[in-house]
Amino acid sequence: MSAASNHNWFDTESGILDRRIFSDEEIYQEELQKIFGRAWNFMCHESQVPEEGDFFMNWIGEDEVIIVRDRESTINVLLNSCPHRGNTVCRAELGNTKSFVCSYHGWNYDLNGRLIGMPSEEHFYRNPMDKNDWGLTPAAKVESYKGFVFATLDPDAPPLVDYLGWVGRLGIDFMAAQGELEFLDGVHKNRVQCNWKLAVDNLYDWYHVKVSHGSALKIGMIGEESMAPMDQMVLLGEFGHGIGGPGITEEMFRESVARLRGLEGEQIWYDRNVRQRMKPEVTEMLGPVGKRSFGHPNIFPNLWVALTRQVCLRIPRGPCETELWWFNFQPKHVPVEQRQNAIFVQNHLFGPAGILEQDDGENWSHSTRGAKGSFARTRPLNFTMGKGQDQVLHDESGQSRIETVVNEHGQRWTYQSWQEWMNAASWPELMQNHSLPPTGKI
Amino acid sequence: MSSYQKLDMQQRMLLKFEVEEFLFMEADLLDSRRYDEWLDCLADDIHYWMPIRRTTTAREVEREFTKPGGMAFFDDDKNVLALRIKRLAIGRAWAEDPPSRTRRLITNIRILGYDGEEVSVASNFKLYRTRLNSEEDNWIGRREDKLRRADGDFKLSQRHIYLEQTVILSQNMSSLF
Repeated sequence: MSAASNHNWFDTESGILDRRIFSDEEIYQEELQKIFGRAWNFMCHESQVPEEGDFFMNWIGEDEVIIVRDRESTINVLLNSCPHRGNTVCRAELGNTKSFVCSYHGWNYDLNGRLIGMPSEEHFYRNPMDKNDWGLTPAAKVESYKGFVFATLDPDAPPLVDYLGWVGRLGIDFMAAQGELEFLDGVHKNRVQCNWKLAVDNLYDWYHVKVSHGSALKIGMIGEESMAPMDQMVLLGEFGHGIGGPGITEEMFRESVARLRGLEGEQIWYDRNVRQRMKPEVTEMLGPVGKRSFGHPNIFPNLWVALTRQVCLRIPRGPCETELWWFNFQPKHVPVEQRQNAIFVQNHLFGPAGILEQDDGENWSHSTRGAKGSFARTRPLNFTMGKGQDQVLHDESGQSRIETVVNEHGQRWTYQSWQEWMNAASWPELMQNHSLPPTGKI
Repeated sequence: MSSYQKLDMQQRMLLKFEVEEFLFMEADLLDSRRYDEWLDCLADDIHYWMPIRRTTTAREVEREFTKPGGMAFFDDDKNVLALRIKRLAIGRAWAEDPPSRTRRLITNIRILGYDGEEVSVASNFKLYRTRLNSEEDNWIGRREDKLRRADGDFKLSQRHIYLEQTVILSQNMSSLF
């Protein structure tokens, strides 16, 4: 348990942010405990580890974990650190194995992380030692939502499905609604010299598209209608989840289908996406508001669920460094051509060579640099766009939303929630003190 | 590609000289930011591909690279390469404005095969990029190219790029390899 705090880095009244949160080492260390140490962190998709012994490596903050399927077909999440000297027991980033053997002294662990062997145990460990006490440390809880595996290190965390809430679930719901998903082999990974929160901030940011991605717009790689619209719908969820971006009108649905029949081009994925939502079973799953949300969901803290059947994990590597991992999915049963088009989009929009994402990294790293200077870091950052100008609209389905123009509601909600996590001493305290999604004027 | 084996030493040296001239010339076009001229060096059906590389155990090293048709950093045809280049010229391509400074070192050139029309060539490269005041990227890897004879010159019809990094230690790869 950590101590409660009363930080006011983000002033919710004014929308002013203390930019030290993007560069300060102490704040970062606190985040590793209070954000990543507590949250449900995305690990992988079940289809990444289909067989007994299949494993994939991921991170919870700066702690490396092994995600492995055991003999009972359960997926375990184990700390990649041998309790003898702390050495890693797995150095590959994926694979299949019967057990994990520490390369230092040969302590050997089964797929559940149990210590099953130590070289020359009977000769050297003459003192009794209970091997049951010295397995690989498991995550406190591992749960899946529609095939997406999450883990938390905090036993007090609420169940995953409650943690996600309807806003956190919506992005995954939409992907899962497209048929049984299959992970496509190969995670795009690269490193940006930026604070992880700036990458998260950016997914709510529909203000930057025309400028940051001006070149991609001009060459027709992305369309104005889908990527730089004025009309926006924002959904805010408990614990910091959110979705920000365009809302689709019935008219847009109709136009999109018409274009799909007539015109070919790179926008085809967008049209298919829209058409998917018109299927009755999908409409029912997403709900009347969720169906119209075409924004970017973030599952707090750091998982962007993109509309392209991709998720991007923003893994902290220090206050000023972040790894971006793109996981790619497709429904198992789709026509070859449709599959190839979708893979084309997944390979060409995002990732370090992605025509869209290339231009983001430098902005985020320079924003991080702007939080380092001893004078610059004293200067406030402005998150006031649209503040106090909008109304949270209630829907009888329970799906509240804000319908407005380009705004910074998603970012403000993220920093407000983040601050509540940072100020709470524990999950029980966070449960008690966190803000519920806003109502009324916002 | 058996006809390469039938060439005598002098013919092989000549072929290698031609191939080297081409590879050094197109590297220089990229270093000099003469992108449109570089595009002219490509065959219309070029496949330009960089798979994703992973750390695996020695036992599972066949899983090291992703497969063609799947996920990749680059999986481009000529149209996509032309788009990348057009983007640079159009302004607002912030990753390259101000422009990066790059230098390509092409080494260990080996001819793997020649059928009278197309030469298969392996080479190693170092692509050094520096941006702004102090940003540096070093990309080292192997390329497997195909050079096709056309009008007394070559056109590049395949470039498969195998980088040594698994996690790309750069904020983007806005350079061409």
